[in-house]
Amino acid sequence: MTDQGIKSRPIYATLRRDSSGRRHLYVSAGSGPPPDALAQDGLESWTVAPTTCEGTLPRPEGVGERRFRSTRYLMETLGRRLAGERMGLRLYVEGPEDFLWDVYGVAQAHGLGRQEIFLKQSGTLARRVQCVHCKTFNEGVTTTIVRCAGCGANLFVRDHFSRRLSAFQGVKIDAEQPGDVPQAERAYP
Amino acid sequence: MILDGTLPARVAGIDSLSPTLKRFRFEPERGCFPTAAPGAHVLVTLRGPERVWKNAYSLVTPPEARDAYAIIVRRVEESRGGSHFLHDHLRPGDRVEIGTPASLFPIASLARRHVLIGGGIGLTPFLSFLPVLRERGAAFELHQYCTDAETETFGRLLAEAGGAVTIHGSTSRRSVAEILADQPLGTHVYTCGPERLMAAVEAAALDLGWPSHSIHKESFGGAEGGKPFSVRLARSGRSIAVSDTQSLLEALEAAGIEAPCLCRGGACGVCLTGVIDGEVEHRDHVLTEAERADGKLIATCVSRARSDALVLDL
Repeated sequence: MTDQGIKSRPIYATLRRDSSGRRHLYVSAGSGPPPDALAQDGLESWTVAPTTCEGTLPRPEGVGERRFRSTRYLMETLGRRLAGERMGLRLYVEGPEDFLWDVYGVAQAHGLGRQEIFLKQSGTLARRVQCVHCKTFNEGVTTTIVRCAGCGANLFVRDHFSRRLSAFQGVKIDAEQPGDVPQAERAYP
Repeated sequence: MILDGTLPARVAGIDSLSPTLKRFRFEPERGCFPTAAPGAHVLVTLRGPERVWKNAYSLVTPPEARDAYAIIVRRVEESRGGSHFLHDHLRPGDRVEIGTPASLFPIASLARRHVLIGGGIGLTPFLSFLPVLRERGAAFELHQYCTDAETETFGRLLAEAGGAVTIHGSTSRRSVAEILADQPLGTHVYTCGPERLMAAVEAAALDLGWPSHSIHKESFGGAEGGKPFSVRLARSGRSIAVSDTQSLLEALEAAGIEAPCLCRGGACGVCLTGVIDGEVEHRDHVLTEAERADGKLIATCVSRARSDALVLDL
């Protein structure tokens, strides 16, 4: 049930430095260091380190290293930063799929194109699921079937991923036979 | 969609813009011309007493103009004769055939800013960009490089078009790299003009880290002459001579062969034809280095033979 044969799903490669760029910014939803293939001179590295791990992480060392207390704060800062950026930037993004495409959306809104953004999925496979009926976003879904937090429908989590919404689509599984809902399986840990 | 066929038209007016530049206005024999995309060009068929030219020219009329098309042509001393014919023989009222417009040089719809860099008569496709960019309220700047003698001529053309325009004469000019440095994210650059200018624009943009998708070049040069050679057509067994002022495509057309073509400037690849034997002098902008080295394809509109003869899969 985890592979539904949908060909439009994004495929992610490992991150490598694109030497045609002049400035390089790595943005991660986690708090780990950038991959070695990126970590050369002049890489800026923005990570998210929740307050709970502030005392446990080593101090930032690199010149361009910056930590944010939340992804939301990182996202807002990124928007302001890109608004003043010039041509020549390359953006590398690492994290769960919804984070990748949220960042992609911010970057695209500021003029970056697909030759300038590189994405790598890591961390949880939990899905943001949009209910196609009431449009509610259900965050962190790990199961094949989920009750919509908005309308209460039993949603089948399709592999159909929207890059624009950074979300998978959930459709009512018991539309033909109301109440006929199979057992949900944990599929997206 | 690429429309086929030609549009019968008449020369409605000829304006002399400078000693070497003329603007030709064509009106349709019947009805309206099709709407052209910004940056579109048309093939104009010129029937001289001894030969026929089919030359591609950018439309300088606004894309929505359907009552008339206009082109601007420079009279080139060392030309294959097409520009001489236009300048010296074409008169108002003369009939011409115009191909349906095609654009290989569109405005990038996702761009957030547009930098247009023209060189000499390479300004022409931008004259159809400008009304569209202004109407869309797009952020743009236009830089026109030309000789000091022509700054006034191009200034007048651009005064009609309006917009954020800088004209760079030969004695005082900003470098392309200066123009491209410090452009915001989402900027696209478009260039049309001499090969050296376009190569400089591309090199400067790449050096500043611009992705290749944001660099657009229009090769308007068309065919240049060269050493005469002959071609043999493998399928029909015919042999055709290509003179020093003719392109291979023109020689094929003169022999009555319906060879495919679109831009006639080595930019679109529609005319690529298989080469069975002989060495090609590649002058197109379509084939990759590997394909050139392979020598199995020729862009008939611009490329010629390095050997005395070619055998084509035609």
